[in-house]
Amino acid sequence: MPTTLIEQFGNPAIAIATGVGGVMTVLSLNALFLIWLERKVSAWIQRRMGPMEVGFHGVFQTIADMLKLLGKQLITPKGIDKPLYHLAPIVVFAPVVAATSLLPFSKSVAISNIDIGLVLIFVFGGFAVVGIFMAGWGSNNKYALLGAMRSVAQNISYEIPLILSALAVVLMVSAVGREVPIDGEIVALNGLNLAHITMAQVHWTWFILVQPVAALIYFISVLAETNRAPFDIPEAESELVAGFHTEYSGMRFALFFFAEFSNMFIGAMVATVLFLGGWEGPILPGPVWFFLKTYALIFIMMWVRWTYPRLRFDQLMTFCWAILIPLSILNLLVTALVIKVVQS
Amino acid sequence: MTLAARTVHGFHTLLTGLGVTFKQIFKRNVTLQYPHEKPELSKAYRSLIKLKRFDELDSHDCVACMQCVKICPSACITIEGGKVDGIKRKRATLFEVDFALCSVCGLCIDVCPTDTLEYSRLYDEAGYERAWTYDLLAEFREEEPAFRERQRVQEEQEAAEKEAKRLAAEQAKAAKEAQASKPPDAPEGTT
Amino acid sequence: MRQSAGPTLERTDEADTYYLNMGPQHPSMHGVLRLLLKLRGEEIVTCEPVIGYAHRAHEKMAENRNYIMFIPNTSRVDYLSGMIYNIAFCQAIEKLCSIEVPERAEVIRIIACELNRIQSHLLWFGTFLLDLGGITPFLYCFDDREEILDILDRVTGSRLTYAYGRFGGVTMDVDQDFLVRTLAFVKRIRSRFPMYEKLVGENVIFRERCEGVGVITPEVARQYGVSGPTLRASGIGYDVRRAEPYGGYDRFDFEIPTRTAGDCMARFEVRMAEMEQSCRIIEQAVAAMPEGPIGPKKLVQRLKPPEGMFYFAVESARGHFGQYILSDGSNTPLKLKMRTPSFSNLSAMETVLEGTMVADTIAIVGSIDIVMPEIDR
Repeated sequence: MPTTLIEQFGNPAIAIATGVGGVMTVLSLNALFLIWLERKVSAWIQRRMGPMEVGFHGVFQTIADMLKLLGKQLITPKGIDKPLYHLAPIVVFAPVVAATSLLPFSKSVAISNIDIGLVLIFVFGGFAVVGIFMAGWGSNNKYALLGAMRSVAQNISYEIPLILSALAVVLMVSAVGREVPIDGEIVALNGLNLAHITMAQVHWTWFILVQPVAALIYFISVLAETNRAPFDIPEAESELVAGFHTEYSGMRFALFFFAEFSNMFIGAMVATVLFLGGWEGPILPGPVWFFLKTYALIFIMMWVRWTYPRLRFDQLMTFCWAILIPLSILNLLVTALVIKVVQS
Repeated sequence: MTLAARTVHGFHTLLTGLGVTFKQIFKRNVTLQYPHEKPELSKAYRSLIKLKRFDELDSHDCVACMQCVKICPSACITIEGGKVDGIKRKRATLFEVDFALCSVCGLCIDVCPTDTLEYSRLYDEAGYERAWTYDLLAEFREEEPAFRERQRVQEEQEAAEKEAKRLAAEQAKAAKEAQASKPPDAPEGTT
Repeated sequence: MRQSAGPTLERTDEADTYYLNMGPQHPSMHGVLRLLLKLRGEEIVTCEPVIGYAHRAHEKMAENRNYIMFIPNTSRVDYLSGMIYNIAFCQAIEKLCSIEVPERAEVIRIIACELNRIQSHLLWFGTFLLDLGGITPFLYCFDDREEILDILDRVTGSRLTYAYGRFGGVTMDVDQDFLVRTLAFVKRIRSRFPMYEKLVGENVIFRERCEGVGVITPEVARQYGVSGPTLRASGIGYDVRRAEPYGGYDRFDFEIPTRTAGDCMARFEVRMAEMEQSCRIIEQAVAAMPEGPIGPKKLVQRLKPPEGMFYFAVESARGHFGQYILSDGSNTPLKLKMRTPSFSNLSAMETVLEGTMVADTIAIVGSIDIVMPEIDR
């Protein structure tokens, strides 16, 4: 079992401070790296070089950009709904921090270990929609409003296959993890605990091998949940200028940007936990494997983004309701059935 | 096609697309790192015009005929000049081009009767001010007196030669006429 | 179509609808088109294109200068097929004043124009995908397009707004290197077509976005005077190069690709097929390149055109480009009216937008390939 910070420090205040500080550091560095990586991946795919000027192969380009954004004027448009407009970036960003703190990075390291971690992750994921809609509604801009409306419809729809596919994994965990020896004692694994999900895979096998359909559905839904291409219609540049964050500038815009990349990061991390065995791997230590798998998934997400055109809004919804949801329900039923048959 | 078949086919095309882009990752990139590397200019490269230096003159040959000024659609050429003291050849005393107006259409080059205009290799002319007026005579200005002196001497020589030729021709003509007017049977050397 | 900007209307007279100003500054408006959309949710109730933001008075400028001084203007009317427009103006004046063009100059012009047509289609392909949200094909197209620009740069000295044509010929002769590179390019682009087909043409998302979207029926196309690939995608095989051959096109063997669907996908297919046909013309032209002069020794600048009205049309990358010249016999036209294809094509688009979604608008505007400076002139 991973030791949590509270167990380590004893004092909750210190634990929370360390946890939040650690998560913020990881998220900031990660976002800086991911933005650089996104530029590089797009450049490689498009046979360009990408950023090359600031630092070795432009590694400090994002830092330079962030400094630029810090120095920019925060333009506040006329006629906005002030509380909503100002709160939106925070509401979008805060759940990201909370969600990251739930993930087990290795066998021994986790910020917190909660028995309903998986549920909480989806709850925090759902929070982002509220923030996005606040931004769209508060901006007094039709493009922003259109983007926000699309975003709400899309995120709520895609949460269903997302959770259904994760549910298949939860079933698997409870089925295979009835009696798992951990640290010398036999434990029954809890399917909603992220660390337990990983341990079920360590004990048995990676769930991507037994649940490929769920993995695919989960991956597609994560793309949609994080507004990544080809599902980036809430901020479709060629249609809605910048979608819900059209009216945001400077660091407010940077927060949205950070949140987007961090959401992607969380989506990939959860996928790693659910399907790719989390920290499991030979030779290298647990966290290294964990992040290797996460970044491999992120690379695929970027690769997908730089390959496809964007779906239309109604097609996006059709794809979700007519293909993904029936498929994930079917997958869940088949999983349950197989488990039942094997167990009895 | 049923929905299932269409979905499977759709996923297949999506994977094909991913394959196409993945292959490109390993290909040589095509970027030219611009301020560090510069492109090779084509031989027909069009830019600001300049005055050609002719070997036999060791100077330009703009005779300020104003053809280019008249044909220029952007009216960006200013020329002064014409007859100058001491020499017969006409010379431009001012040749300015406002490159900010120029559309590099090349009509001035095509119309020039002495072919003294050509494109320069001027490149990378971004600047912070709007003034892009170039004085095309700048490189010739210092040597202009020397050129005129050379030209004057040459013209004098030419004139002298011409005069000598004319005299010689006149003499020959006179001699011929005299010969013609003389009776054919007259003895030699009587004139 | 509205000619002036008009007031920005905040409320519509109809319940549950609102106005959305798309453009003139918008990431996917080609140039400075403004669409005044009346929306119900995301569904378009009416669409009103507002034009005139890129008006530079080219036609008026023509009335104030000699014919020859108008040459640099021509390629700026439609900057994406500048070579075609530039050569077309020279051809019109040559026909008007009965100026002979040497055969070599004609062939060079055809190669240059067809390269320009491929270039224009490639750029269209790239920006169309950009409108649909696919950024990578755009960069691949630009890689190919760059090669064309380099080739044309070798003889014209410019990359976009060419002033290559002169009355009775062209300014600069092509060399062997140009021909070799042109043929190499044809080979290269042919090898790229299957890649484009795999990456884009077969892609399920692309097909879903394009099939059955923005159908322009042959009747609508006829009514509005649609021309070019947009017309041929609606099933009418009209191409000026075939209907009224000019500039030596009748000597070459090529097909007029047509589709009957009339949707965005058909327009995509027609343009892709047209690039292949342009490649064929280029190959034949390079093989048939005669020796000889490339134009009159001295610049033809003092023209004595006959008095009266005159019309000359060519097939530009976007369709039927006509020039109507009213001459009083002097060296300056009384009136030079340009009939540009994008204008008619855009007008027809207005009719097919009703009931589509905002995302479709972008796809349809992108698929008919408009160039705003060409509409506004």
